[in-house]
Amino acid sequence: METGKSFSGGRRYTNGEITVFWKPDACIHATYCYRELIEVFDPGRRPWIDMKGATTDKIIQTVNLCPTEALTWKWNDEEKNNNTGPEQTNHIKFRRPELMGAAAEEIPEQPVTVKIMKDGPIVIKGSFELINAGNRKEISESIISVCRCGKSNQMPFCDGQHRKTGFQG
Amino acid sequence: MEKTVKNEPKVTIEVTERGPLRVAGNFILKDLQRDNESAPGEVWLCRCGKSSDKPFCDGSHRK
Repeated sequence: METGKSFSGGRRYTNGEITVFWKPDACIHATYCYRELIEVFDPGRRPWIDMKGATTDKIIQTVNLCPTEALTWKWNDEEKNNNTGPEQTNHIKFRRPELMGAAAEEIPEQPVTVKIMKDGPIVIKGSFELINAGNRKEISESIISVCRCGKSNQMPFCDGQHRKTGFQG
Repeated sequence: MEKTVKNEPKVTIEVTERGPLRVAGNFILKDLQRDNESAPGEVWLCRCGKSSDKPFCDGSHRK
């Protein structure tokens, strides 16, 4: 199974039937993907997308919830793509037509950004080395969200507790 | 022309034990809470929620 391969503007992941394209630059952290389908989209896991975590239908349904072109998808069977209608909001045809038939292409790395979210976590995007509990891990063109309120049950990562506890800062 | 492949990470993120998050290297820090942006090279970011100097650590986690 090919998974997490680089392509123009991000990464792609496939389960053999469909390919999901991940464009980190476009993510606005609406969090629909992992609230809906953590089995597939888990920001605390590497690689963060596991195409084996759910059925193709469920993955398509969840990718279609993404409000930006951060997550898009296509059928691996090109013929099926031709017959895909606009109700499939996040099919690459409608969100990222430049990817239709595009060959895989390596992209230059983007600078790492560390964002302090309002009353929320630290969101780190890009390629970097993560040292956690003494373990070193290479993170490539991805996003992690680190707890800032001190109350997460998934330390060191954010699990949304800051909203419940009314964290300010 | 020969291409050089860099394996060395430019940025290191370290979760220190019961302490702050250390970020070092070539990165952009965007503070959406305080509306500023910088490239500090190295920072220690508060993870306990108690710092008086947020987003930075001020040692309050020890208290």
